[in-house]
Amino acid sequence: MNLDPRPSIAILSRFRKIGIIGVPPLEVIRKANEHGLIIHDLDEPLVREDLETASPFLPRVYCAILRTAVVNALHLELDAIYVDTGPGKCDCALHTATILAEALPIPVIRTRNTDTEAFGTPLCQARHRLIERMLAITAGVKSAAPYQNQPPTCAPTAGFWGVPPRDFSILELFPETTHIYGWARCMENKTPADHDLEAEFNPEVPTVFFAQSFCAKTALARYLAKKHPHALYLDVDVHTTSSARAKVQAFLELSGVKA
Amino acid sequence: MILGDFGTSYCKFLDLAAPGGEPSIIATKELPSQTRVDLATGHLGKRFADRYVNELIALARGGEALIEEDEYVLLDCGSRDIKFIKYQNGKLADMGWNAECGASMGFTIELLERYYELDYTQLRVPEQTFSVTCGVLGMSDIFDAVISGVPVAEAVARFVKGIALNAYRFAGSPPHLYLSGGLCDNPLFVGSFPCQVTVLGRFVLLRGLEAEARQPNPPTQA
Repeated sequence: MNLDPRPSIAILSRFRKIGIIGVPPLEVIRKANEHGLIIHDLDEPLVREDLETASPFLPRVYCAILRTAVVNALHLELDAIYVDTGPGKCDCALHTATILAEALPIPVIRTRNTDTEAFGTPLCQARHRLIERMLAITAGVKSAAPYQNQPPTCAPTAGFWGVPPRDFSILELFPETTHIYGWARCMENKTPADHDLEAEFNPEVPTVFFAQSFCAKTALARYLAKKHPHALYLDVDVHTTSSARAKVQAFLELSGVKA
Repeated sequence: MILGDFGTSYCKFLDLAAPGGEPSIIATKELPSQTRVDLATGHLGKRFADRYVNELIALARGGEALIEEDEYVLLDCGSRDIKFIKYQNGKLADMGWNAECGASMGFTIELLERYYELDYTQLRVPEQTFSVTCGVLGMSDIFDAVISGVPVAEAVARFVKGIALNAYRFAGSPPHLYLSGGLCDNPLFVGSFPCQVTVLGRFVLLRGLEAEARQPNPPTQA
């Protein structure tokens, strides 16, 4: 495994298709864009393969997003994988990178994203379907271009704090005027290691603090939910269960949030 | 208008048009498949009605209808899951629904009573308890205790107390709680809580449905 990112950026021109896990530094994405590379965001479900195919490599009780990344890495034809293992990601990704480097015949390159240049968070504060805004935020990780045609900010009526979930269907329950906080906001801002931004929330609006089950961020989500005057802590594994949906639905309705 | 709370083990009904308005109850396994109601809640509710209210909302509305205080914790212990609603200053402050870990507690308690031919009204609350987080996983504690010489009734009582303590912690360990659900009828379970308990019975969700039904513009949930 390559430990130094600089030569890894230099060799990008040799590749045609790369996969990314987490948010690699903007310099990596910029060079990949310049060379016209196809970028696959391995954190999202991309292939129709059973999540169990990751089990020889990762425990079954493990972050569903990283298990998904492993399934993608095993089934997509990639030339290299860039895994962010810096303060903007997690130890689980670091260990996953180690395992993938041995399991795959392609370079698995660790990066350490400490970018501080803020791109802004217009989608997090816009009025639009939450699921589509989250899709746009995650798609944005594959581009280094500044945001164009930024949507206007709306007054929030609810909050969603957390990472983009493995199963986006939970987002269907929120009103269009839901503001996005947490790591998803850092993602749009292209500063995934900005822990201060990640910890921000709006105490004025009922907020769901979401984390993937078995993710270290469950601790932060629950801690912040306790500080927030009107919060629901929620962790979900692979799929949104009926009880998770019911909790969000009940929380929003009983908090007086209009759909 | 007929209301139905379709639980895993028992279904409860209330006909708002019937004189007296007393709820009825039937074992879920005996429920006719063609049953239809106007408004439903519960694990199986979506199959039997066009309009469905999720169980947490039904529980909260039931609590609002039955409890006069502004601050309370209402815990529902059913066959398949446990859930609670906490109100402060008349507003929702916390909630929880445990259908995965901590599941099948009520079902397991009833299963054990029948298998070992026990009568929970005759069992005293034991001093010791098992650390139980799940009805299924907790069974092995019973078997281990019986093998080591603990009488079956004592082992099952420890299990039931462990389940009550788990539910109590899940609800935030309040000094007083209102209890709802089928386990309200189990004196061993109710007596195992280490706090003051007010028993509301197994029809709280129906009362919540009734409150929803009487709303002028009720929200529709598919």
